Amino acid sequence: MAWLDSHLLTTTVFLPLVWAVIGLLIPTGAPGGRAALRGWSLAGTLLVFAVSLLIYQRYDAGGAEFQLAESAAWLPALGINYRLGTDGISLWLVLLTTFLMPVAVLSSFRAIETREREYYFLLLFLETAMLGAFVALDIFLFYVFWEMLLIPMYFLIGIWGGKDRVYAAMKFFLYTLVGSLLMLVAIFYLAYQHKLQFGTYSAAFVDLYRLKLPGADYTSAQSLLFLAFALAFAIKVPLFPLHTWLPDAHVQAPTAGSVILAAILLKMGGYGFMRIAFPLFPQAVALYQVPFMVLGAVAVLYGAWVAMVQPDIKKLVAYSSVSHMGYVVLGLFSLNSIAVTGSYYQMLNHGISTGALFLLVGMIYERRHTREISAFGGLTRVMPLFAVAFMIVTLSSIALPGTNGFVGEFLILLGAWQVSPALTAVAGLGVIFGAVYMLWMFQRVMFGPLKHKENEGLKDLSFREMLVLAPMIVAIFGMGIFPNFVFDKLSPSIDRFVARSTTAANPAQGE
Amino acid sequence: MIMEPLKTIRPELLQLTDPQLAALLPYFVVFGGIAVVIILSVVRFMKPKWPVFFLSLLTVGFGIGAALGLLQEGASELVFNGMMVSDTYSNFFIIVFLAAAGFTILSSFRYLDHENLQHPEYYVLTLFSALGMMLMASSLDLIVLFIALELMSLAVYVLVGFRRADRRSNEAALKYFILGSAASAVLLYGAALLYGMTGSTHIRDILAFVQSHPAGLPPVYVLGAWLVIVGFLFKVAAVPFHMWMPDVYEGAPVPVTGFMTTGLKAAAFAGFVRVLLATGYGKGLSEAVQANFHDLLWVCAVLTMLVGNIVALTQTNLKRMLAYSSIAHSGYLLVGMLAGPGSEQGYAPVVMYLVAYAVMNLGAFVVLTIIADRGDSGLNLNDLSGLARRHPWLSFAMGVFMFSMAGIPPTAGFAAKYLIFYSAIQANEISLVIIAVLCSAISVYYYLRVLVYIYMRDPVGSPAASRMSVWSVAAVTVMVVLTLQIGILPAKMVSAARKAVTSL
Repeated sequence: MAWLDSHLLTTTVFLPLVWAVIGLLIPTGAPGGRAALRGWSLAGTLLVFAVSLLIYQRYDAGGAEFQLAESAAWLPALGINYRLGTDGISLWLVLLTTFLMPVAVLSSFRAIETREREYYFLLLFLETAMLGAFVALDIFLFYVFWEMLLIPMYFLIGIWGGKDRVYAAMKFFLYTLVGSLLMLVAIFYLAYQHKLQFGTYSAAFVDLYRLKLPGADYTSAQSLLFLAFALAFAIKVPLFPLHTWLPDAHVQAPTAGSVILAAILLKMGGYGFMRIAFPLFPQAVALYQVPFMVLGAVAVLYGAWVAMVQPDIKKLVAYSSVSHMGYVVLGLFSLNSIAVTGSYYQMLNHGISTGALFLLVGMIYERRHTREISAFGGLTRVMPLFAVAFMIVTLSSIALPGTNGFVGEFLILLGAWQVSPALTAVAGLGVIFGAVYMLWMFQRVMFGPLKHKENEGLKDLSFREMLVLAPMIVAIFGMGIFPNFVFDKLSPSIDRFVARSTTAANPAQGE
Repeated sequence: MIMEPLKTIRPELLQLTDPQLAALLPYFVVFGGIAVVIILSVVRFMKPKWPVFFLSLLTVGFGIGAALGLLQEGASELVFNGMMVSDTYSNFFIIVFLAAAGFTILSSFRYLDHENLQHPEYYVLTLFSALGMMLMASSLDLIVLFIALELMSLAVYVLVGFRRADRRSNEAALKYFILGSAASAVLLYGAALLYGMTGSTHIRDILAFVQSHPAGLPPVYVLGAWLVIVGFLFKVAAVPFHMWMPDVYEGAPVPVTGFMTTGLKAAAFAGFVRVLLATGYGKGLSEAVQANFHDLLWVCAVLTMLVGNIVALTQTNLKRMLAYSSIAHSGYLLVGMLAGPGSEQGYAPVVMYLVAYAVMNLGAFVVLTIIADRGDSGLNLNDLSGLARRHPWLSFAMGVFMFSMAGIPPTAGFAAKYLIFYSAIQANEISLVIIAVLCSAISVYYYLRVLVYIYMRDPVGSPAASRMSVWSVAAVTVMVVLTLQIGILPAKMVSAARKAVTSL
């Protein structure tokens, strides 16, 4: 227990991997073996969730910046160490990850029927990589986890995906990798700057935050480095016009893959902005604030418009992600506590509601093996429980008050208004378009007469599927009605982040 | 002056003291082993197959043991009148070469049976080549360097043509022999010019000559240095001296190709580092000459990375693809060579990269050796379709090697690339690093395409007879473990590489 206390983050990060390796030993060929493997994987993710609740309990919002810190020598010659720690920004993304993983595993029980051993191994391996990226406090360690998670995701899309899975997997991998590699060059440069300025090698975030880099104009070091990082993160978010990998990957991935991709992987981009790009290059952020806010607002509208005309439900949800993540970028670059809090909250919301949408789409796909909107209609008559769940999630996605989506979007628009009323007004239109495409889709799929014979015999939600959806719906209302539950352990970190990222508040960061 | 001019024969210079004898132990072990293997292979009263195989492995094992012992002592000993040195650098590389030879032997055993090529000469030539490599890493004299190069290359010429009945194998051997000899001649001519200008063939004397002429060097010296460097660029298959390589790699038997890409390349770079240091690159060359050297090598590195990666994209034969990828990796190594003098890490990243590359590439070739069909057919991408269903663990190993070559963490390839690019940033080669990372992004496509076929396609045709043996499985396992180990905990390897280059 004492060991667990001092290595809580390590345990959380690596427990899934250890669990996954043991899972490989389960003989799936034997009778009951497959069920045992599923049970084992579900138990593992639940256990990780339980451990991560300990992190929540131990984390003290009023305490030091990074808590539960761990450190061990890794490549000491270059100042690279194994450093973990969490602040409010990491905390909630870790909890989001551990919360969604059991759901993802449970949702795969029926959907995945081939090569299950590899599947659950990769899913748990992915969890380790994601958690590691969220709690790494060393830029090298962060990069290792950041790139490592491409491996399981690549296989998840490529092996268990839809018709064009190989194309989608390759596109996903290459797109993200190109961005990451330029980020790698920037990381080298930064780490070496620490050596030049302070005489010692270090790759710890807290040390890098102290660097003084020239940042006056567009060709300065800060500006170029910021662009290198921003490219990597913007691809991940994904920010218009770097979003084209997303519809392919989302549509082709198996349900659990889409859920994780949308709910957690996209958040890596936002997290990267908050952890690295903003605090390290405040002057560059000031320089690029307006262009990025414009891109964010464009993404909101563009995503919504393109979503509107999609004939495929999953593709529609994928484009709605582009739109929702546009809000996140808009809020982040507004650089005031309200908007940034909203952005962060929006990231969590998007994880819950889009994740739930993908789960629902997966459920009807399992029944009908199609996702064309035109193939449905009037499903409320045969699937009433499904209809209720779908309705709740849809309303959360269009940010109805009382659901989680409202809190995030409202805060973003409120904060962004202080910076640029014009852009906020444009992005505000996205709220309307969002309602249009979601409700229109909902109407075409669920209401009206039962046009297709095949739909008459569709079964309503099974008990397992209710178990999958229940936590999502609880989270939707919980986060919509009690946002302070999250804000309590988040606000101090957000304030620190904003202070560090605005040059005015931190004059020492200048030339 | 380290070396005395040999005007008259002075026997006392040729006598070996005890520490010198100890320093030469790995060479004696390997040479003695080779001698016994040769004798065993001609005796009449038994079949030489098993004894030769085991004796070769024993030789390698004892050789590595002896080198490890020397490495622990860390002493640096000049032998043979200063023409050779036994230092941490050479001992470190001895281990790499012998390990490469050892794993090649392990993986070839079953393969040779299947191809009806089970002749003892195979093992003898592999060991001779390894001996040449060992001499290469430890030579301090251009003459010794040349002899080592020839010993190493001649053995490999024969190995490339080992499949006597196959025309491609013969063609490859002849091509390699002619072009390789031409390169050796260029190198020798360069050495002669250097001798003419400096009055010595000794590497440290040449460096002393350069450093005593800070104002400027005679053009003949520069020409000589360039010719020597070109000889090495040919050996490492840097563009535009790479033409020989894909055909040779494709024609040679698979395990020999694996040996060439790892051992030969590591040896060429090990010698290259010593020679480049001797020419005064980065240390003592006048500014104009230094800039000239730097810029031409820069162009060469960029071309090597671009051509290697882009041509590899279009290959469907795995051997050919890995040949072009090997060219690309030479490009990354050249980045490290360029950065060496300007960065605090020196040439350590190059050494580290060579080890990582040897491990992952040899691993990939062992896998190819196992899945190759008769006459090395069945190595097209299509033939790998659905391999994961038939051989899940072999596929996993191939996945590890491919991700490692593409430089994705947590593998050796990533750690090595990280260090080499980091050192280049320290040497202020920012544009070079950007080109290099973009090239490695290109490379991801063709490495991952292998995995697409293995994991994401359904099997086609009937599976070829597997050539898995205990020996090759052991080799693959060790390579996978090493690839992951160097990738996850690189600190040990980094400090070993550092120690090696500080002894230079």
